[in-house]
Amino acid sequence: MTDRDLVARLELVVAIPGVRAALIAAVDDGLVVHEAVMGDLAAEDVAALVAAFIRRGTELAIGVTSGPPNLVQLMATNGIVVAAAGSEPLWLIAVASPDTELGRLRLLVGDLAGQLK
Amino acid sequence: MRVLEPWVAEPLTELVRESGARLALIMTASGQVVAQYGFARSLDVMAASSLGAGILATTAALARLTGESGDFGAVVHQGGGRGVWLAGFDTPRGRWIGLVVFGNESSIGLIRLFFGRFAAQLAAATPGPVIGRELLAEGFERELDQSLRALFGTEG
Repeated sequence: MTDRDLVARLELVVAIPGVRAALIAAVDDGLVVHEAVMGDLAAEDVAALVAAFIRRGTELAIGVTSGPPNLVQLMATNGIVVAAAGSEPLWLIAVASPDTELGRLRLLVGDLAGQLK
Repeated sequence: MRVLEPWVAEPLTELVRESGARLALIMTASGQVVAQYGFARSLDVMAASSLGAGILATTAALARLTGESGDFGAVVHQGGGRGVWLAGFDTPRGRWIGLVVFGNESSIGLIRLFFGRFAAQLAAATPGPVIGRELLAEGFERELDQSLRALFGTEG
């Protein structure tokens, strides 16, 4: 998959109404690999914080269920984060407003992350 | 944590707490230590500060050679279990350097994020330059002793 292909897939995610950013990040170092951002959201900051959240969530999931998570979802008062695992250490991360069509977003993020493998 | 300048304490505490850093060292561009967190021996601090200042000076020269305006901003050394983040930042007292050692519980991204906030907080909290302060010559050894006592208490 070329860089252009990856960016095209991220643009599919941000085309969903309410999505503010879609990015591919390496969760081991918390750095952005590719990004598509609407507005002034700081993709680098999002990648660092979500990567830390995913690492801790993975530790929790392994401790509780004996297996790592494939999809992580965080529902907050003012936003949603959906992240799906691609090939290690890459994750596809979407940041959206609370009124976003969540089912569609989860499906698309999961599908596209699977294509990173 | 030990600090020579009291306004450094709060931003450094936040940097360490939020980023999960294991060691931190704040120094002037010439390698004079301003604050440290996590170091147990003064020799380690002196070695780390001089090496850190030297690395940044070297990479700044490399930056000029490769056509980069200014310096590279940050230098990261990543090992299997530990990483080192080394970056310069501007304060009202001139250019300072931060050296942060982190483990696998943190990441380059987190250190980058919280170091940026630290540098901004510190720049806002730092008073202007001190006029006429004795830095070298006959006062050097006395000032060095005072600094080491402040950074390490009675041990040295």
